[in-house]
Amino acid sequence: MANVSVPAGGAGWGERLVDALLSGRGVWPAVPSIVVLMVMAVIPFAILLSLGFSDIEVARGAIISQTFSLTHLTTALTDPLYWITFQRSLNLALTTTFFCLVFGYPVAYLFLVGGRWTKRIILILTIAPLLTSGIVRTYAWLVILGGRGVVNSTLLSIDLIDQPLRIMNTHWAVLIGMVQIHLPVMILPLIAVMSRHDTRLVEAAENLGASQLATLRTIIFPLSVPGIGTGAALVFTLSYTTFVVPQLLGGGNYLNAATMVYEQVVFSLDWSKGSVSSLILMVTCLIVLVIIALITNRLTRWTRGRDA
Amino acid sequence: MLDTAGPMIDSNDPAPVLSIGAVSKKFDSLTVLENCSLDVAEGEIVTLLGPSGCGKTTLLRCIAGFWDADSGGIRIDGRDMGAVPVNRRPVGVVFQSYALFPHMTVVQNVGYALRMLRMPRSAVAERVSTALETVSLTGLEDRYPSQLSGGQQQRVAIARVLVMEPRVLLLDEPFNALDAKLRGSMQVELRQLIKKLGLTSIFVTHDQEEALTMSDRIAVMRAGRIEQAAPPEEIFDRPATAYVADFIGMSNFFSGEAQAGAVLLPDGQSQSTELQGPVKVMIRPHNIRLVDAQDQDWRGTIAFHRPVGPLIEYHVDVAGDQIKVLSMRQQQSQIYADGACVGLQVIDPASCSIYPGAH
Ligand SMILES: Nc1ncnc2c1ncn2[C@@H]1O[C@H](COP(=O)(O)OP(=O)(O)OP(=O)(O)O)[C@@H](O)[C@H]1O
Ligand SMILES: [Mg+2]
Repeated sequence: MANVSVPAGGAGWGERLVDALLSGRGVWPAVPSIVVLMVMAVIPFAILLSLGFSDIEVARGAIISQTFSLTHLTTALTDPLYWITFQRSLNLALTTTFFCLVFGYPVAYLFLVGGRWTKRIILILTIAPLLTSGIVRTYAWLVILGGRGVVNSTLLSIDLIDQPLRIMNTHWAVLIGMVQIHLPVMILPLIAVMSRHDTRLVEAAENLGASQLATLRTIIFPLSVPGIGTGAALVFTLSYTTFVVPQLLGGGNYLNAATMVYEQVVFSLDWSKGSVSSLILMVTCLIVLVIIALITNRLTRWTRGRDA
Repeated sequence: MLDTAGPMIDSNDPAPVLSIGAVSKKFDSLTVLENCSLDVAEGEIVTLLGPSGCGKTTLLRCIAGFWDADSGGIRIDGRDMGAVPVNRRPVGVVFQSYALFPHMTVVQNVGYALRMLRMPRSAVAERVSTALETVSLTGLEDRYPSQLSGGQQQRVAIARVLVMEPRVLLLDEPFNALDAKLRGSMQVELRQLIKKLGLTSIFVTHDQEEALTMSDRIAVMRAGRIEQAAPPEEIFDRPATAYVADFIGMSNFFSGEAQAGAVLLPDGQSQSTELQGPVKVMIRPHNIRLVDAQDQDWRGTIAFHRPVGPLIEYHVDVAGDQIKVLSMRQQQSQIYADGACVGLQVIDPASCSIYPGAH
C-alpha cells in the first residue's frame, strides 16, 4: 500500500498536510487513493498500452528497442477471429445481464413486499454466495452439470433422457454459471434502490385505485430504473471481462475476450497482441456502459430536480 | 369514565356517510385502538385530535383499508367495507408526507386515479385541469414534485384525490411539513375548499389550534379510545372528561367533595352535581376574576404575569399551587404586579366542570 510519507524535517507543511487530510478540505483526502490508483492501475496500464503500440525487440529478457507502430491494432481489427471472439463475449455478457435482470427483479420485488422473515432470508441467500470465491462456486457447477452430475443423473433416473446431456463445456454451461455467479450483483442494487422509496407511494397508488400489477408497472418499476441501470452496468462489466467461468465451464477451447487475452499473454507470450486485445476489451466495455448510462438517464429525467 | 364515544346523530338526521363501528386493533399485545365508534355526516369535517401515538393514523389506515381492524367495522354509505380492497374503496387519502409520485409531473400525478379507471385521455385532461384550477395550481402542470414548494406539493396531493371524487376524504396531518405562517393560511383555505366541494372528511392532527380551525366536530382520542366527539365550542366549554379538559385549552384542577348534590368551589360558592364522593373540579382561567384580597377566603400572590394578545395571563400562587387566570386587559387600573396579594373569585359557577376523581 502506498502511504503518504511525511518527512520528519518539514514539520510545517507536514503538519499542515495531516491537518488537511483529517479535516477533509479540498482534494487532499483523496490523495492516498489517487496515489494507490496511479501506482497500481494507471502506470501498469500505460506500460501495457505502450507495448501494444510499438514494435519491440527483446534480447535476453530485456527490451532493447521500442518504436511506435499501429500494426498490432490494425492486424487485430482485420482479424476475423477477433471479431468473432468479441461478438461472442458481447453476446454472452448481454444475455447474462438480461437473465440476471429477469431472475433478479422478482427477488428484489419479493424483498420489497415481503415480511420481515422474507426480507432476511432473501438477504442471506443473496449475500451468502458472495462469501465464497467465484472459483469455488464455478467448480460447484462442474459437479452439478457434469456428465454424471446432479442434473443428468436426475433426468436419467426419471427416464426423460437415455443419454447424458452434454452441458459441460458448452455455451450453456458458461451462461448458467455466469448468471448464477453475477445474480447477487444485480439483486443488491435493485433492493437498495427499491427500498429507498417511501412505501407510502405504493399505498398512495393503491388508494388511487391501482391494482397490484398496475402499481408494479406504474410506480415500482419506473422508480427502480436507476437500480436496473446500476445492476446492469455491474453485471455487464463483470461478465464481459470474466475469465474464470468461461475457462472452467467452457472447457479449454471456449474463447471469450478475457480468455483470449490470457492465451495471448501466457501461452503465445505475445504481449503486444494481449495489450491490443485488452484495449479493445476496455473500450468496447466503456461504450456499452455509456449506452446503459444514457438509457438510464433518459428514463429518469425526474431525478434531476429543480432544473426546469 | 363517561361514555361519550357514541354517535352524535339525532334519529331524524340523514344516514351518516361514514360509520366507524366499535373498531379495535392490536399490534401483537399492544392495543392501539379500543372500541372506537364515530359517525360522520354528509359534508362534515371531523378532526381526530390526540397526543402522539394515540392511534389517529391507525384509525385512518383502517378506514382507508391499508390495515384490517381486529373487530368492528367500517361502513361507507351503509356498505360494509370489510371485504372491499384498498383500491376499490371510495376513500381518498392525503398522506402526512404527501407521497407524491416523484417520477410523474403534476399533471401525471393528478391524473393517476383517472388513468387507473381507464378514462379516455381527453376526459382525463379536462378533469385534471379543473382540479388544478380548484387548488390554484395552474401553470405548474409540467413540474416534477421535487420542483415544487411544500405548499404546492400539498395542493397537488389534494388535487390528486379530488379528481376521483371520493365519498370520504382522509387527511393525516397535512400541514406538518409547512412552516407556521403558511400553515395558518392553508388551514383556512383548505377548510373553505372542502366545504365548497361538500366533502365528508376526517382530518388528523395533534395541534388543538388546527383542530379548532378546521373542524365541525372534534373527536379527542386518548390511548386508542375516543374520549369525546363534539363541536369545538362544546369540547372547550363542556369537556366530557378531565383528560379532554386538560388537553384542550388551559385549565385549573381542584380536588373537592360532592355532598348532597353539590360541590363547594374554592371561593366558597357551590355548584350542583349528580356525583357523590371525591371529585375533580375544573375551572377555566377566564372563569376566574381577580379582586382585592380583603374579605376573601381564596387568595394568593401573583407569581408571574404576561400579556397574551388582548388578555393578561396571571399565575397566582395559592398555598403552593399555581392557578392560572386570564383577564381582559382594557381595565388598565386593574393590572396586578408580581408579588401583589389578590383574592380570586369564580365568575360563573355553572361553567365549572366536575369529574369523578380521588383526592
Ligand atoms: N406497524 C406497527 N406495528 C406495531 N405498532 C405500531 C405500528 N404502527 C403503529 N404502531 C403503534 O401504534 C400506536 C399508535 O400509532 P399511530 O401511528 O396510530 O399514532 P398517531 O396517533 O398517528 O401518532 P402521531 O401523532 O405521532 O402520528 C403507537 O404506539 C405505535 O407505536
Ligand atoms: Mg400519525
